[in-house]
Amino acid sequence: MSAPPKPVPLTTVESTETSDSGAQTLTLSVGPQHSGSGHMRLIVEVDGDIIVNVAPDPGYVHRGIEKIIELRNIIKSIPVIERPSIIDASNLNHAWVRSIEEIQGVEVPRRGQYLRTLLNEMNRIMSHLYWLSIYGVFLGHTTMFMWPLGDRELFIDLAEKLTGARITYSYLVPGGVRRDLPPGFAEEAVKRTEYFEKRLKEYDRIFFNNPLFTSRAKGIGVLSKEKAIELGCTGPTLRGSGVDADLRKDEPYAAYPELDFEVSTRPDGDSFSRAMVHMDEMRESCKIIRQIVKKIPTGPIRRKAPIVLPRGVAYGRVESARGECSFYLIGEGGDKPYRARYITGSYRNMAAIPAVLVGNRLADMPTAWWSIDYWPVEADR
Amino acid sequence: MSLSHEREDDLIQKLKETFPSDIKETNVIRRARLEVTVAPEKIKDVAVFLRDKLGFDHPNGVSAVDYNRENRFEIVYHISSIRIKEMRDLVLDLKESVPRNAPKVGSLVSVWSGVENYERESFEMFGIQFDGHPRLEKLFLTDNWDGPPPLRKDIRFPTD
Repeated sequence: MSAPPKPVPLTTVESTETSDSGAQTLTLSVGPQHSGSGHMRLIVEVDGDIIVNVAPDPGYVHRGIEKIIELRNIIKSIPVIERPSIIDASNLNHAWVRSIEEIQGVEVPRRGQYLRTLLNEMNRIMSHLYWLSIYGVFLGHTTMFMWPLGDRELFIDLAEKLTGARITYSYLVPGGVRRDLPPGFAEEAVKRTEYFEKRLKEYDRIFFNNPLFTSRAKGIGVLSKEKAIELGCTGPTLRGSGVDADLRKDEPYAAYPELDFEVSTRPDGDSFSRAMVHMDEMRESCKIIRQIVKKIPTGPIRRKAPIVLPRGVAYGRVESARGECSFYLIGEGGDKPYRARYITGSYRNMAAIPAVLVGNRLADMPTAWWSIDYWPVEADR
Repeated sequence: MSLSHEREDDLIQKLKETFPSDIKETNVIRRARLEVTVAPEKIKDVAVFLRDKLGFDHPNGVSAVDYNRENRFEIVYHISSIRIKEMRDLVLDLKESVPRNAPKVGSLVSVWSGVENYERESFEMFGIQFDGHPRLEKLFLTDNWDGPPPLRKDIRFPTD
């Protein structure tokens, strides 16, 4: 039996210290008990109610997935890879299979590519809706908690029809996808996305155009364009700071080169901009889904791929709901990878947390922090 | 989309011209993916050149790889460019190797501030020391973790 673990100190900074201006500051521990969604802690130093310093303290949901992958067959790793963000499972899965296919040199049939893109975009909407509902909770807006979670079922049901699972699909496999479109899917998808677009207008009315939200979000948690680039931010966080970077356009993969959609950006870099980028992206995803079910080519959905990973190296990446998700994959000829470095959007955006919070009031912390869409489990992996 | 590696070869050429003796190895993995291995003592100069002269302003991540059979660690900085729109699909792997028994390298936080968390993770998971890092502490591991760096190859799972 090993010795019992030593207790973890609640704060790693002195509780009171004197700041440069001579004022007394106070250090608070926010979290780790579900300060939003998923366990993570922020060590926040305040001067009065102004935040002067923030140190993220992640790791409460760290599972050592990079080590687990190294010890498993590349196919058996798929369910593990989806775990860090079950609400965005297929996008993470896509980064993994893309890296494998790159080393194996396997081409995915076009119909398979379209089906991958279809589930990816459904996942983007589901993930953004989950984010929005938690944002509602954070801002004390109960309706904005319930509506998105209810409307999310529209797409969960669709995903279940397509893949057989509601949340974690393991739908993408090296070489293609597991199942073809079920009968009647296209009509159902068009009906549901059109209904959802109407709902988005109602979201605007009750929340995004509501002074209760705008007065709390505009000008709060500003992240400048230069800072966002330098910190390596990605996804809606980067686009909310006025950078039109989106891998779906910059490095088109799957069916994206053949689809028509806009990259949403907002120039201000505040919480409101980041929130509106999420809203715009849901509208664009609806457009993409309708195009896919209309344009999807016939043919095979999957090509035979070996279950070994040949010697080689790949850096495969996709635009997941929270930004770039990438694998730096090294194969050595066996059925397990030699090394699989797993970097997710939330992990990258963790660097932005201090940048958006410092200088704001403590009461503005929920608005500013959650606008980054930081998912602790996805960051910890 | 062209299949030639003109752009990648051009970048490598520019690096080789500026650092003739410090670029140890270059490799174009495929279109838009290239590896550049440099001497650890010169990595900061190369990084500053890449950032200021070639437009690589965006850190995508840092990977550490344990080659225990070759008795070395490899540290890989994945960097890309946002400023140059035509280069956004490109990822450059800036690599350095350190001996496994003395894993000590210079930190690149002063070049790309975004690599801070990744270097911290490489420190706790592989035991690599980054000189000049502002806060070289554990990131994901618990404060009371006193075992060996867990992502090293010689650390096995109890069930393995």
